[in-house]
Amino acid sequence: MRGGFAAVALLVACGRAEPQATPQRPLVLRTIPAGDSLRLELMAAPGWKINARLKPVLEAAAGGLIRFDSPVLTPDSAYFAAAPVAVVAARAASVRGTLRASVCAVGEAVCRVVVVEVSER
Amino acid sequence: MPKTALFVALSLATAGGLGGALETASHAVAQSRIPLLGAARGSPRPAPAWGNKSWLNTEKPLTLESQRGRVVLLNFWVFTCYNCTNTVPSLVDFDRKYRQQGLTIIGVHTPEFPPYSGEHDKSNLQRALEKYHIEYPVTQDNDTRTWDLYGIRYWPSFVLIDKRGQIRYEGAGEFHVGDTDYQHWDGKIRELLEER
Repeated sequence: MRGGFAAVALLVACGRAEPQATPQRPLVLRTIPAGDSLRLELMAAPGWKINARLKPVLEAAAGGLIRFDSPVLTPDSAYFAAAPVAVVAARAASVRGTLRASVCAVGEAVCRVVVVEVSER
Repeated sequence: MPKTALFVALSLATAGGLGGALETASHAVAQSRIPLLGAARGSPRPAPAWGNKSWLNTEKPLTLESQRGRVVLLNFWVFTCYNCTNTVPSLVDFDRKYRQQGLTIIGVHTPEFPPYSGEHDKSNLQRALEKYHIEYPVTQDNDTRTWDLYGIRYWPSFVLIDKRGQIRYEGAGEFHVGDTDYQHWDGKIRELLEER
């Protein structure tokens, strides 16, 4: 989608034992075409933070790991202050996979894991 | 490029096993704040015996049975969790104050991500222990078996076990030396230490 982005709220499973869905979905994944590649931005929904000590990873279905990163961190270096980004070269094949992120809800002082299957259509 | 949209198929396949998790999601929405400290779920119940093989800061593996007569504080943590490492000074303080009085703190190190994250690596964990001045025993829970055994859901989480091996208090969330939650945990530890 040129000139825009696809923003899809990721329905998530939080924690390991059972999902802790909240009214706010923790993550939004934006995809932005950039020439022959695709820029992926992982944004935290309001009230959520993404753990920068454990960088989000997309385990590509085609193989390999796509790591999200950003140099802009909170002052304590614990969380991303700007959306971590990954760039994939081969669009269709690479975007499919399993996305993992460690997130924290503001005010709860615990970490949770988000695991979602991502596929392009 | 064709119109791009990411279709997200909900998958709850994490290491802990999440069968039926989708059905519980609606209930979870209504859940209120995570309890920082509370009585054991249900009632005091026997602590399940862990069987972890990999340990640090101890000459031999600790078993639940070997801790009978002592109060045990299990801390489920991982060194990549900021909330966990922020809480470590409190645990170091409890260890300093109460080890001789009968408290055993056990750090149960449960990774969040698969092995490529480095969280499973024992040498990385050893470095974290040195960085945070952790001298109490820590065990690797790389297969999340102990995490699952205790029904843990968050990092960091805590389970306080009495001298008879009963789970008495449970909770989750960061706290700091001297704050209200620290004082609550401190009080519960002292309460159990005073029991015969």
